[in-house]
Amino acid sequence: MSDLFAFQHAWLIPLLPLLGALLAGFLGARFLKRQSHWPIWLGVGASAVLSFSLLFGMLALWTKGRESSVREPAGKWTVEQANLERAAARDRGESKSVPLARSIKWFDWILAGGSDASHKSYPDNDIRSADGTVNPLRPFHVEAGAWIDPLTAVMLCVVCGIGFFITVFAAGYMKGESGYFRFFAYLGLFLFSMTILVMGNNFVMLYLGWEGVGLCSYLLIGYYYEKPAAREAAKKAFLVNRIGDFGFGLGIMLCFLAFGTVSYYGNGPHTGSGVLDMAMAAQLPGGQITPFQQTALKWIPFLLMIGAFGKSAQFPLYVWLPDAMEGPTPVSALIHAATMVTAGVYMIARCSTLFVQNEAALITIAFVGAFTALFAGSIALRQFDLKKVFAYSTVSQLGFMFVAVGVLAPVAGVFHLITHAFFKALLFLSCGVIMHAMSGELDMRKFSGLKRVLPKTHVLMLIGCLALAGIFPFSGFFSKDEIVGAAFHHNTLLGLVLLFTAFLTAYYTFRLYFRVFQGPEILPEAPAHASHGHGGDEHGSHNHEPWSMMLPLFVLAIGAILAGALNWPERERSLGTFLYESPSFQNGAVIADIAFTRLGGKPVDLSAFGRREADEAAMGHEPPFTPIMGISLIVALCGVWLAYRNHLKDRAAAERLARKLGGLTTLLEGKYWIDEIYENAIVEPLKKLGRAFFIIDQMVVDGVVWMISFIPQATGFALKLTTQRGYLQGYAASMLFGVLVILLLIFW
Amino acid sequence: METLALQHYLAVGAILFGIGLIGFMCRRNLIVMFLCTELMFQGVAINLVAFGHFWGNFSGQAFTIFVLVIAAAEASLALGLVVLLFRQKNTLDADAWRELKG
Repeated sequence: MSDLFAFQHAWLIPLLPLLGALLAGFLGARFLKRQSHWPIWLGVGASAVLSFSLLFGMLALWTKGRESSVREPAGKWTVEQANLERAAARDRGESKSVPLARSIKWFDWILAGGSDASHKSYPDNDIRSADGTVNPLRPFHVEAGAWIDPLTAVMLCVVCGIGFFITVFAAGYMKGESGYFRFFAYLGLFLFSMTILVMGNNFVMLYLGWEGVGLCSYLLIGYYYEKPAAREAAKKAFLVNRIGDFGFGLGIMLCFLAFGTVSYYGNGPHTGSGVLDMAMAAQLPGGQITPFQQTALKWIPFLLMIGAFGKSAQFPLYVWLPDAMEGPTPVSALIHAATMVTAGVYMIARCSTLFVQNEAALITIAFVGAFTALFAGSIALRQFDLKKVFAYSTVSQLGFMFVAVGVLAPVAGVFHLITHAFFKALLFLSCGVIMHAMSGELDMRKFSGLKRVLPKTHVLMLIGCLALAGIFPFSGFFSKDEIVGAAFHHNTLLGLVLLFTAFLTAYYTFRLYFRVFQGPEILPEAPAHASHGHGGDEHGSHNHEPWSMMLPLFVLAIGAILAGALNWPERERSLGTFLYESPSFQNGAVIADIAFTRLGGKPVDLSAFGRREADEAAMGHEPPFTPIMGISLIVALCGVWLAYRNHLKDRAAAERLARKLGGLTTLLEGKYWIDEIYENAIVEPLKKLGRAFFIIDQMVVDGVVWMISFIPQATGFALKLTTQRGYLQGYAASMLFGVLVILLLIFW
Repeated sequence: METLALQHYLAVGAILFGIGLIGFMCRRNLIVMFLCTELMFQGVAINLVAFGHFWGNFSGQAFTIFVLVIAAAEASLALGLVVLLFRQKNTLDADAWRELKG
């Protein structure tokens, strides 16, 4: 496995976009100018190729491993766990495969603290002393390294693959913008951070990537920094994310405090040298765990969760994402739909070992996710800005993913992450095409019936809408239904909320589609002067669909159609069973099984972790999804039909309905006034507090400093008046006096 | 008559230094004040030479030669300054330049 080219050269995946960013950033303004996209294209393209070769290499190994059924005895740290694993393998009815997960160390990044002795023996083995407690003299050791497993490979392919097509699109979209090189430099930096985020083998690497994507998001939202709205949106995104990152940072610190390391798996799974491994010990019979670690395990998931809520725009912290649409459209597609905002889902899936043993955290995640899905989905109903509709839709879909990880179905969450990345990127980029064609206008009341103006975009957008609405056989259908099914398995209320949200999704998606592409052809009369003028020559040519922009869209559309096949239900080899090769999922399944059996809860559906029973009938387990699939398809079709009735057949009907619902409409149009509530309840008091502190600073702190500085000033002034009088002899006399005093002091 | 001891040299040096110091403190004339500083220099120089002699090495003499050379250089500068100051105010009184206190 280690001989695989892509494994050995995994370090190139983050490095190439970074190199591209440096080239574009430092040479762009002077030399590359209009060609600034080349370093990023090449860098990200090469990274995408490497990511896919990593994935396919892994798949080949996986297949080989399954065929030969070689079981590689992994190092076990307790006998109990080894027994348990063996029992689990017996339950599965087969022996499993070579491990597809490995840690690759690049270099030691941070090595601080601890005694000299602990430095010498640091490769994370001596974190535990003989009696099982954490060695208090442990160094803070962080290595820069990659954790390569199926989850990483899949995430890398999504990030680099979709990232590459979006950069290709962006070159066409951003043509003629001032600061063209700046845009591409930021984009490269973003992809560097995002790959670090998904590849890192410890929490600090994750945090580095986490903050890096936050920074790039800030820079790119504020790309049009002459526009006050863009500046405000960028600041808002950054500040709201700070709240989440604060919790995340505390969570990482607590991990180190309790477990003495920040590595996921240390030297490898089952060696007991990583956080996720040691956390597993909490649930295993005979596992060594201290009371402090027990307590820490209760808190760590909550703290990490706050970070995930911030980055993935969940309920209390979602407010930045709709505003982030001020950024250029490719940025909305890449960062605020496909990749960055899914980091929270990735993190929870990666740490499912920590989350699954904490029922309270799971319930919180699931309910916050469901609430966010419903909440944002309902706001999207009365938005008229195309990008805003999709922004709220993204928040809502992220809610779906959170429900998935919250109801012990991380595979469904990651699956939805992938399909969503495809179709939402497609939808956003199509919005970008419309925006160009309409000279920057995005209000769907101002235009209609564009299917003859933008025929290709029309088809592509229809594919995206079908996928988002969850119509069979488009990708969104499969992933969404897996989540809905898992939610029903866990909690009927959650399932009903998600089903209703799926209805809303279908409705608002097709409301947009019918309004924009169908019906009488209306174009905005006086083309509003584009806030970001694209090349003037483009206006005359009437070619709103250049190939450089359309080609990436076609690829994404193919993904939006076919990605559903990745996890085709009841297939022996699917995304789920592949992801199950990742220790994150495997351990998650084992722990969920133990924890929930101990609590006497409902049996955990282990197939949601990717475990496929060899003989499902014998296990008495049947996939619970089939009836749900039909129901949710009907629900989605209802939504589409309602949208057709209200927004195509009789457009006045929508307004009549809105008037009939009076208060509710106002509530939705006001977006529940969450922004206003935050403004008045948090921002204004904070500003007042800040002003009060400013006054205190001016009067008290500065006053004291001023007073203290007054003492030497006054003394100096007095001395000057009394002693510095210009008599040479006077100076000589005082010098003499001084010498005498010194002599006296020395010789007394 | 007994031989000259270190104390004798030191006494001469101290007397020279004391005369210089008193002269510097009491006289107003810039040139005389300057001469007094030279006297103090020589007092110190005698000390150095005496110590060097009685310790049996030449450091004191070497120092003294340095002091003399620097004193000579400084004397040329100082006398030039005194001449300039005199041209400005037609007097050698040090107190005439009180406004230089800043």
